[in-house]
Amino acid sequence: MMNFVPLTLYAAALVVYAWHFARRNPAVGRSATTLLVAAALSHTFVIGMQTMEVGHVPVAGATSAISTFVWLLALAYLYTEMTTDERAMGVFILPLLVALQAIPAIRPGVEDRAALLQGPLFGVHVSSLLFAYASFALACVIGITYVLLFKEIKAKHLGFFYARLPSLQVLDRMNQRAIVIGWIFLTVGIIVGGVWAAEARGGLAAGDPRVQAMSLQDPKIFVALVCWCVYSFELFAARRIGWGGRRAAYLSALGFAIVLLNFIPISYFLTKSHNF
Amino acid sequence: MHLLLVGISHRTAPVEVRERVDFQARGVADALGALAARGSTREAVVVSTCNRAELYVACDEAAGTRADLVKFLSDFNEVAPADLAPHVYDVTDLDAARHLFRVAAGLDSLVVGEPQILGQVKEAHTVATDAHTAGPVLNRLFHTSFVVGKRVRTETGLGSGAVSVSYAAVALARKIFGDIAGRSVAVIGAGEMGKLTALHLKSQGVQHVTIISRTMAHAARTADAIGGASAAPWDEMDAVLGASDIVVTATGAASPILTKAHIESVMRPRRNRPLFIIDIAMPRDVESAAGEIEQVFLYNIDDLQATVRENLARRASEVARAEAIVGEEVEKFGAWFRSRGAIPTVVALRQRFEAIRRAELERLDFKLSALPPEARARVDEITHLIVEKLLLTPTEQLKALSDASTVGAYSEALTRLFGLAEQDEPRTVEPFARHRPRTPR
Repeated sequence: MMNFVPLTLYAAALVVYAWHFARRNPAVGRSATTLLVAAALSHTFVIGMQTMEVGHVPVAGATSAISTFVWLLALAYLYTEMTTDERAMGVFILPLLVALQAIPAIRPGVEDRAALLQGPLFGVHVSSLLFAYASFALACVIGITYVLLFKEIKAKHLGFFYARLPSLQVLDRMNQRAIVIGWIFLTVGIIVGGVWAAEARGGLAAGDPRVQAMSLQDPKIFVALVCWCVYSFELFAARRIGWGGRRAAYLSALGFAIVLLNFIPISYFLTKSHNF
Repeated sequence: MHLLLVGISHRTAPVEVRERVDFQARGVADALGALAARGSTREAVVVSTCNRAELYVACDEAAGTRADLVKFLSDFNEVAPADLAPHVYDVTDLDAARHLFRVAAGLDSLVVGEPQILGQVKEAHTVATDAHTAGPVLNRLFHTSFVVGKRVRTETGLGSGAVSVSYAAVALARKIFGDIAGRSVAVIGAGEMGKLTALHLKSQGVQHVTIISRTMAHAARTADAIGGASAAPWDEMDAVLGASDIVVTATGAASPILTKAHIESVMRPRRNRPLFIIDIAMPRDVESAAGEIEQVFLYNIDDLQATVRENLARRASEVARAEAIVGEEVEKFGAWFRSRGAIPTVVALRQRFEAIRRAELERLDFKLSALPPEARARVDEITHLIVEKLLLTPTEQLKALSDASTVGAYSEALTRLFGLAEQDEPRTVEPFARHRPRTPR
């Protein structure tokens, strides 16, 4: 129920960002940012209320995790916008925020935290991964805009995006930075997850079927490792074989598609180890 | 009070006439002084650029002032009236306002949307302010024109997109590399075109320019002429290309000097760092298939001209939006301008009330003379305050009127009710000042 307020504000911000993108009116741009800040604040409030309600940060279930992910992505985007003074990406990020925030809005309530999820390692595991995914989402959106601009310049038809997006160089650098940050958090998240699973097996919860399912055969874990491979390759390729620019952009889109696959269908329907 | 514009511009006068009517050369401040001395105007601003010479004035009587301004144009610039007359245009009141707003927006420029004109209009107003020839009407008019210029710049695409080939090339380089100051440029061909391009890139902040020519001596001479550029012999081409971000080819070669295979071989050690090739040679120096290589952006002179044409077309499509902004601001200015029609009535009304007050005080002078000076001063102050209070609401109501016929009706009614027509209409009183200094009787 409460999640409708941020959803509405995100949707309103999307409309204003689109308007700003089309008309390039700075006053409209400022109101777009204001709306997004309002959305993020109300979202902070919602998450804060849920934390007080259940006594821990609501990241333990798939739906709460999505809500927290949306919140992190909104903050990460706002940070990028403030540091680069570049609003053009907003119109690409916000549809993602709105679409994902719709899930917690229509599936209200915070999942109870299973007893075995208490403890600091679990918190580090989930929050690093959510942060990594938010970075990858930014990288994907930046990559998409890179490709749009690249195609216009290559086709010698300098039109809509040419007038609105920052330079290819800036987009490429932003993409790389988002990938590096995401990769670091993904690596930390996966390692901490592994350590946590090993401890759980030796502990009291060893008999839990979910703990027993924690292996490379589980789709959630397997796909997360595929993700790690894709992003590691992207980082390697950009530095070693000159796969910057458009190829890096395509790889970030591919990587984030896998992240989304892991985040929604697999979390809800397929995984046997992560269905908390 | 009327607004009047008399002038010539690139739309009405050929360059031979425009260069003779050059207020910049003769001194705009002097022109303003000379114009004020003629006494036909109340306020004046001279907007003078290489494409226009326009006099914006506020005056009491439009027809006479118009004739005097035309005469002033030819007198001051020492041009025979007959040479000038066919090219001079004049517009009055809100049409003059609309004209200035269109000028400030870049709508009346030779290249629609060019950015310098707004600065030139601001400069013209500053000079007039310093010369004390700009008053309330022209100040309001020009400040509104700055608003129009700024709004058109930020709310429409009228000024966006490069409209010359060289700027289009620099804009592209910026879109690919971001900041181009730290980028290296190689210019192949030491001819005039190559030199001009290198100079342009230098003026845009590029630091490293290398000239390559088949004749090393030519390359060195061109590099010297540019200043701060280096020269390289033809056989070091690959090394220079490998180190460059932007390559300009401008040789007179009959067949392509850079093939796709050649550029591919240069790209490999670059690890796909982007390479922007500008081929301004005719016939072309670079095989067009080279543009297919990933991270090679190849533009020849036709491509650049095509983008310029697209930009011009896009600017043209923004004209309607810019005109709409001009229309809105003319509307707002018009409301203010028309409300000034009530000023003579306001002045007359205040004069009337003040005259009655003074007459009554004089009539009672013999009774008041017994009072101490402080008490007499107090009486003067109180009566003055009563008059001010009585006039406050009618004055504000009159100021708020914005449509000419209502202003006329109100003025007519007030003139009759208070017998305002019976007295002279004094011009020296500032109409809206509420706290004039006064001396106690």
